[in-house]
Amino acid sequence: MTFSSSYLFSLTTFIYLGAAALYLTHWIFRVQKIGLLATVVTVGGLVIQTVGLGLRWIESYQLGYGHAPLSNLYESLVFFSWITVLVYLIMEWQVKRRVIGAFATPFASLAMAYASFSPDIRDEIQPLIPALQSNWLIAHVLTCFLGYASFAVACGLGIMYLFKNRFSGASDGIIGVMPDCKVLDELIHQTIIFGFLWLSLGIITGAVWANDAWGTYWSWDPKETWSLITWFVYATALHARFVRGWAGRRIAFLAIVGFVAVMFTYFGVNFLLSGLHSYGSQ
Amino acid sequence: MKTSSSTYQDTSIWRFFSSVRLAVFLLITLAITSIVGTVIPQGEPLQFYLETFGPNFFRIIKILHLNDTYHSWWYLILLGLFSINLVICTLRRLPFTLKLCRRDNLSVDSGRLLKMPFKKDWEIKKELDNDFTQSIISAFKKVAGKFHERAEVDGGRLFLAERGKWSYWGVYGLHGSILIIFFGALVGLFLGFKGSVMLPEGETIDHIVNRQTGEHVSLGFSVRCNRFNISFYDNGAPKEYRSDLTVLNDDKEVFHKSIVVNDPMEYRGVTFYQASYRAISEVTVEVAKSDASQRSLTISAFQRASWPEEQLSFRLVQYQPDVHGSPAAQIWVGDHEGREGKFWLLKGNKKEFKKGENLYRISLTNAKERYLTGLQVKKDPGVWIVWLGCTVLIVGFAVVFWVPHRRMWLWIGRREGKTTVILSGQTNKNKLQFEKDIRKIEEALNSSLGVRQ
Repeated sequence: MTFSSSYLFSLTTFIYLGAAALYLTHWIFRVQKIGLLATVVTVGGLVIQTVGLGLRWIESYQLGYGHAPLSNLYESLVFFSWITVLVYLIMEWQVKRRVIGAFATPFASLAMAYASFSPDIRDEIQPLIPALQSNWLIAHVLTCFLGYASFAVACGLGIMYLFKNRFSGASDGIIGVMPDCKVLDELIHQTIIFGFLWLSLGIITGAVWANDAWGTYWSWDPKETWSLITWFVYATALHARFVRGWAGRRIAFLAIVGFVAVMFTYFGVNFLLSGLHSYGSQ
Repeated sequence: MKTSSSTYQDTSIWRFFSSVRLAVFLLITLAITSIVGTVIPQGEPLQFYLETFGPNFFRIIKILHLNDTYHSWWYLILLGLFSINLVICTLRRLPFTLKLCRRDNLSVDSGRLLKMPFKKDWEIKKELDNDFTQSIISAFKKVAGKFHERAEVDGGRLFLAERGKWSYWGVYGLHGSILIIFFGALVGLFLGFKGSVMLPEGETIDHIVNRQTGEHVSLGFSVRCNRFNISFYDNGAPKEYRSDLTVLNDDKEVFHKSIVVNDPMEYRGVTFYQASYRAISEVTVEVAKSDASQRSLTISAFQRASWPEEQLSFRLVQYQPDVHGSPAAQIWVGDHEGREGKFWLLKGNKKEFKKGENLYRISLTNAKERYLTGLQVKKDPGVWIVWLGCTVLIVGFAVVFWVPHRRMWLWIGRREGKTTVILSGQTNKNKLQFEKDIRKIEEALNSSLGVRQ
């Protein structure tokens, strides 16, 4: 019982909350060693969570269901936090700025906390209903969530940009340690490009799957429509760079608006609107 | 250019439709207006909107077709404008791209090379003999790859390694892919059909009803449902819906497939999807006339069974699978003169009824549930065009953002009286990686030119 996926996910929740606190401490008090500790803790959390995901997959076979842990809201939240941490760590490794962690890891911590502590979310392993029994499940969820995770990081960067831009006079202190506006702007752009590709692939794999399951690749179901709305927002952000005057602040703003659309596609549609994607709400 | 204002490139309408500003405006407008159809329920009968939203808002809904937002006139106009914007942006861009691709990147002089974003030059004291030149060239080739050469450029030899010039075409693929997808959707709309059918086990269909037009569509073959099966997990959740289908051509069995959700059957471009099911009750009764003629009749729910010789019809009103351990059915009996009656039958018991002088005895001999499988039927010859569009979209996107056009030049010659080697380069994407690569050449040249760092 102790070494079960649920136990590992509970552990992950606390580790990620700790990691987010460490990143924030590192940013506010500018202690290099705490930054390093934050990275170590986050990597440790990711390893434990990865083992947890694998274990949950095995457990589902032991129950006789046998499916990837991507089938309901609980599992999707765990996967969202996993992939957000992964995308962030890759960025940290590439850019070598731990300050970004203070704005990125909270998304993963909140997702895990929501999955673990909300009384409305059922965490037991459920069997796959017929509509979900498809090889497209993994491809569709993986691509969509790579997009969501990138957009979460882009949103964090957008918030940083607005902070930095607002107090551009400060060359030291908590604003000073942030990357330059130009660097942030470029990072936001690159992250949005990356996320946009995965979102596009997510929409396409969803269409291929829908065509296999229902015979229509596009039926204007609220989830589909909201993913398209999200796609429009980020397409705007990508095109706006070619129009003069649409750089920096406006792109940062679009990165935040885009993530609001992502959140609505992810949660809002499930809770507020009805449609074909209802299995995501339990 | 005032003189060319009469040509199409410069008219204001052309400029309006070819602007990225319009594209951004349309993307934002589409994003905002698309929300409407997710908030207002779609495809309900008009009465529903009147009752839910009241007469004032109902008028708006009717005018703007908000009951079917994504097929409304204004949404289609937005999508049309979007397509026109895409086409005209593409046409306007074309001459620039052609010029870029035709440009001769070897026609530069040493002075221009020294103004490139990445450059490095060396003065050579040593004699520039053949071996020495070769060692410089091979150091360049090792990293830069295949190159073109032109002699006598500005009094020296010029080498150019160019990569990814074709990547300028990626944006055409990316934008064209949207038009391909639209085209595929139109092909499906005009050349395909969609419909659904409830098919009882054991029965055959040779046509379906088109959902959009309400017309009968003949399939050109028939499909029989041999069996429908539903299975459950231990916790009661449905595990599998399965229909066993046979295709018949002129009453000959030609194809067979057992379909489940996510695994449809395709025959001659028509696809059959497992969509839903319904169970109906079916009872068998034995009716005996007093003169000893008797008949066994199967009565299904929602259907009439008859004994034509006696001018009697039967319907199943209610069915109870378990009344004191036996199935029971309420049966309706009527004759051609409009006389009718209803009674309950318990399996094993007999009931009597009269029609005129005749006395009939009726008993329930069998009762069961019969399944109807709900099939979604569609033909969409445009779907492959849509998938082609999606593929082009992804490939085009990757090319636009990740395939750089890189140029690296190496010039060896005499400049201002000195033997000089110039290395320079330019890229339109991923400057970081490019810088790394060109530094590698720089280091290789450093060592072959005998420069210590």
